[in-house]
Amino acid sequence: MAEADLSSPSLADDLFFVMHDSVTGRARVHPRLASLGLAGAVLGELMLADRVTIDLDSGQDRTYATVHDATGDPLTQSVLDHVIAEPQHPVITWLLFFARTIYADITARMIAANLLNPPVRHLLKQQPAVPVDPNTAAWPLARLNLAVQRRQPPALRDCVLYGLFAATRGAQRALWEHDHAFVAATIAMLPPPLQRLIVQTEVAVGEAVISRR
Amino acid sequence: MSLTEQRPSAVSAALAKDRLGIPSVVFFVISAAAPLMVVAGSVPTAYAVTSVIGVPFAFLLLGAIFALFAVGYVTMARHVVNAGAFYAYAAQGLGRTQGVATAWVAVLAYNALQLGLYGIIGSAVEPLLADWFGVSPAWWVIALVAWAVVGVLGLLRVDINSRILSVLLVSEIAVVLLFDIGDLFHAAPGGISFEGFTPGSLFVPGVGAALATVVAGFAGFESSVVFAEESKDRNRTVPIATYLGITIIAVLYAISAWAQTVPTGPGGIVKAATEQGPVLIFNQASANLGSTFSTIGSVLFVTSSIACMIAFHNTTARYIFALGRENVLPSVFGRTSARTAAPIAGSVLQTVLGLIVIVIYAISGADPVTKLFFTFGGFGGLGLLILLTVTSIAVIVFFTRNPSGETAWRTRIAPALSIVALCVIIALTLLNFDTVLGVAPDAAIRWILPSIFIVAIVFGVVWARVLKSIKPEVYANIGLGAQAVSGGAK
Repeated sequence: MAEADLSSPSLADDLFFVMHDSVTGRARVHPRLASLGLAGAVLGELMLADRVTIDLDSGQDRTYATVHDATGDPLTQSVLDHVIAEPQHPVITWLLFFARTIYADITARMIAANLLNPPVRHLLKQQPAVPVDPNTAAWPLARLNLAVQRRQPPALRDCVLYGLFAATRGAQRALWEHDHAFVAATIAMLPPPLQRLIVQTEVAVGEAVISRR
Repeated sequence: MSLTEQRPSAVSAALAKDRLGIPSVVFFVISAAAPLMVVAGSVPTAYAVTSVIGVPFAFLLLGAIFALFAVGYVTMARHVVNAGAFYAYAAQGLGRTQGVATAWVAVLAYNALQLGLYGIIGSAVEPLLADWFGVSPAWWVIALVAWAVVGVLGLLRVDINSRILSVLLVSEIAVVLLFDIGDLFHAAPGGISFEGFTPGSLFVPGVGAALATVVAGFAGFESSVVFAEESKDRNRTVPIATYLGITIIAVLYAISAWAQTVPTGPGGIVKAATEQGPVLIFNQASANLGSTFSTIGSVLFVTSSIACMIAFHNTTARYIFALGRENVLPSVFGRTSARTAAPIAGSVLQTVLGLIVIVIYAISGADPVTKLFFTFGGFGGLGLLILLTVTSIAVIVFFTRNPSGETAWRTRIAPALSIVALCVIIALTLLNFDTVLGVAPDAAIRWILPSIFIVAIVFGVVWARVLKSIKPEVYANIGLGAQAVSGGAK
């Protein structure tokens, strides 16, 4: 797996940007589905940085930490610490677990990194957090749009981004064109553990749609 | 987030906090069965259309049969987890092709049950509007308003909040019991008669039609296993909630159906039900307890009907989504709305069907209660009976192939007994299907409608065969539920 840094904006930040309008900050994806996608993105960050991987031989998609080095970022470190503490869970359990809190955590991290403005209250309605720079916020979606238009798979990290965005069902809505075959081909280029991450995110999203709550 | 070294499985504990306990599952099950709607809507209609006095006994009898069915059903739920329960069980027990055919029958039956509800809402709302505002719009105007509300809420994925649902449900049950007590204190001059509880009063001509309605009244109890994955302890929560749900429904409905006959006497109930229809119990309550209680009851009848419509709409939309996701239905039905997380294609399909049915009935001028609510309910009830029978067969076959240490009572005897009982009821329903439809015994339509299920089975089989030859990898994953997209269990 290619070495990637955990610098800002990270994979989760990019996913947050593509799931929200770059100017108004309005959500394009339902918070429940977005949270599952963001949980996948944080695990994806750790997998891209070779800290975490998925055990493919067990058939259970068990997730475990390979390297215990510090990540240098409180959020990913906290996620990594959880995975280190309980290495027995399949990836879908982690997705459901982190999805409970990840939306707020990512928003807070992006506000701290000066990527988002703190949300303001207008009268009774809580306004969404607005991106500080619309160009930065629009850039990840533009990269995906270009890749789809040229039918040229993007860089490894953007392949994960594209797969997770499609898994949350947001890609169908936000991209200029949505091509199922191209999504499948792009995901197929990824290393198997990342493929399983995206597939399990899609499973979790499907379950969330069916669930009565 | 907190670090977790101090506890061995903080993750499982945190996730378990969000899971459903027995009361929540029972609430979901009974609310889909909508007590006040059945007691005020279905029961008087059953008396009026079938002239069978033994409706209370029918509730107890079917409750017993469904409990027998549930023995194998919940045992299966421990071994196969899937949101499209019936079809998944058929797929894993009988084979993938049979599973797809079962799925198509289920979609048809659930849609019929949902569409039939548009026939009752008019008679629930109209008396209140007349009472409060002095207007009485046509039933289809009210039905269209309800249709629009359900359609929009379905797209926005608004489920009635479970707390509101439980308040509504508890008040409904309280009102039903209060009405029952009122009836008991105002018995007909002949005294209280228990004729409704005698088997002899049920097994008369028309029995099959009465049974089909009663089955529709139970519809929803089978949804308990869908919560297996979301429940706290799937080996305990789901079985207990299922048996509890069936018992509450059977006993409550039987007592209430019987209580309605007390003020009129068993001889007068058919006449009273025919003349007054769904307002019968509110008229009785008004006479027994005063108009305040009657009005409270009428309001709850409306909320009960609407809650039931929303619940059925969403359940059916999700069922269609689950099937579309696995390509058991065309994959367009697997679409969801990213913004609202609603199973959009299934929801739209039902909304369109609803409009078609309301318009057809409005134009033809057919009676909405007896011809739409009762007929569709009976038709859906018949479909449900077919599904339960197929599922019981699937349970036996599944455990013969996969011995799992479950007792013979759970895996063989109880399912076999329930197959026999269900087949008898299906036969009786078919014999009396002319009464369900309110047509002459020699009318062709009485055979055409039930045979729609055969058409659905044929289409299902054809679709499965097509899948098998064109997309064998999709066919191989049928019945695996959520894991189907992940390429199946390896």
